[in-house]
Amino acid sequence: MNHRGGFALIKATWFSWMQYRSFFFVLAFGWMIPPLVALFVWSAAAGEGSLGGFTRGEFITYYLVLVLVNQITYAQVNWTVGDIIREGTLNHWLLKPLSAIYQALSSELAGKVVYLIFVIPVGLLLAILLKPEIQTTPINFVLSLVATLFAWGLRFAWGFWLAILAFWITRADSFLALQDSLVFIFSGMVAPIPLLQGSLQQIANILPFRYMVGFPVEILVYDLSNKAILFGFLMQLTWLAIAVLLSRTLWVKGIRHYSAVGG
Amino acid sequence: MQFSKIEVKQLHKTYHVPQREAGFKASVRSLFRPIYQDVPAVKPLDFVIESGEMVALIGPNGAGKTTTLKMLTGLLHPSGGDINIFGFNPSERKPAFLRSISMVLGNKSQMLWDIPPLDSFFVLAEIYSIPKEEAVSRINELVEMLEMREILKKPVRNLSLGERMKCELVASLLHRPKVLFLDEPTLGLDINIQNRLRHFILEYNHRYGATVLLTSHYMADIERLCSRVLLIHHGELLYDGQLSGLNQMIEPIKMIRVTLSQQNGVNPKPDWLPASAEIVSQEKQHLHLRVAQKEAAACTAALLHNLPVADLIVEDPPLETVIDRIYQDGDL
Repeated sequence: MNHRGGFALIKATWFSWMQYRSFFFVLAFGWMIPPLVALFVWSAAAGEGSLGGFTRGEFITYYLVLVLVNQITYAQVNWTVGDIIREGTLNHWLLKPLSAIYQALSSELAGKVVYLIFVIPVGLLLAILLKPEIQTTPINFVLSLVATLFAWGLRFAWGFWLAILAFWITRADSFLALQDSLVFIFSGMVAPIPLLQGSLQQIANILPFRYMVGFPVEILVYDLSNKAILFGFLMQLTWLAIAVLLSRTLWVKGIRHYSAVGG
Repeated sequence: MQFSKIEVKQLHKTYHVPQREAGFKASVRSLFRPIYQDVPAVKPLDFVIESGEMVALIGPNGAGKTTTLKMLTGLLHPSGGDINIFGFNPSERKPAFLRSISMVLGNKSQMLWDIPPLDSFFVLAEIYSIPKEEAVSRINELVEMLEMREILKKPVRNLSLGERMKCELVASLLHRPKVLFLDEPTLGLDINIQNRLRHFILEYNHRYGATVLLTSHYMADIERLCSRVLLIHHGELLYDGQLSGLNQMIEPIKMIRVTLSQQNGVNPKPDWLPASAEIVSQEKQHLHLRVAQKEAAACTAALLHNLPVADLIVEDPPLETVIDRIYQDGDL
């Protein structure tokens, strides 16, 4: 592995993305809208009492943390890698003695930093205005951080394997749009997972999407039992392993396909 | 001893291409039952390129030039045959192989679009593990050779096509590749820049003994840079040898340019001209003819005898014309 080269690439990509910061600020703002809408709807519904065990303040906390986690874990790899395969820029990647994962990671990390420059001040401002309530333990805080890291890994690997479909399917980005909708419904964005009814909640617990966004937020904000936390981490790691495995297998197959048919 | 040349044996590539008729019905049918056709892009090729040689791969569009280059760089897996480049099999894409080659694609840039070229060069230096001071001195050297110091700090997207190609060359040569593949390096550039780039490539080859394999549609590129050409047509190697020998491959011809002292039409072709003579163009007092080499003397005599000739030049056909005839005939 060529870590020095990879790091330099990440830095340079960041420079080039900073040129477009206003574009990314708008994009980041767009991603904040759906959870913010949910925030206002739920906190209004809760009123002065509580709803499904959540008070108004807890809804605000849940969604403000969710906005942050969503930005940190949002993987753009699915869009960037897909474009690179479609546009044929992949040839340049393949001619370099540098693992392709760095090329994908470079835009990922570069973007992350640019987004957070925007999201953190906006989040803080909203926190001052909306006065969230939070009660958590240091252990849950640490666990939540760990879960956020895994969530990012899962979303990245998941996005990566979807993007690699572009080797075979010309408009694989339609899958990405579908995936974004599934994330919206099943990740805890439209409603916190513990508030979902019966079978819907069971489905959400099994699908990977909760472990991409909602799970780390729940650890911090919602009083999950130890058993529920353990189950969550197990599910998260299982999905992460599946996504990594899928990415690796499809990448090898995709490159083989690409070198058979030409870019 | 280390293997230090490019050796290609029976290299071929067949594409498996989906086919379908025009129309809605056919498009639905192709969804369920795609029909494939095997298209041979490159038929078995054999050649050897020695270290330090500069060779041009020429042929019309779709002849298989880019397919061949892509196989040599490991981007495309051959359907069969062997490639040995300085001891490496390109398909394996080993880091040591990738460090010893470079490819310039005339129509695709590897520069990061929004940052100055200098930043991109330093990223490449890191990717190829070139120490900082060494990278600085190599960049300086290449920048001097290409006279491009003033563009180093502008974002790439603000550069002209020619300036971008200069950056592309620096980026490709920073790690001092032993083999340089150039795919249409002068595409779309003005004459001035084309000349400068040719001069640069030549100088680089002399300085570092790099092996260069290039494709180009500009004959000037090839005449200036390569003493040897590989001519590919319909995926087959038609000619491998000196550029000057190409004219001899087809029936040798001469071009005759005549300036008359007064306007004097010769249309249609007068019967005193030899059988092989053809009038290429006729404009006012200027007459341009093509004639088989063996009848050139007779043709010249006939022209002098029958027309008020003020000036007459007999010359070899430009390479473009030769190549064009080969492309049109399809065989030799």
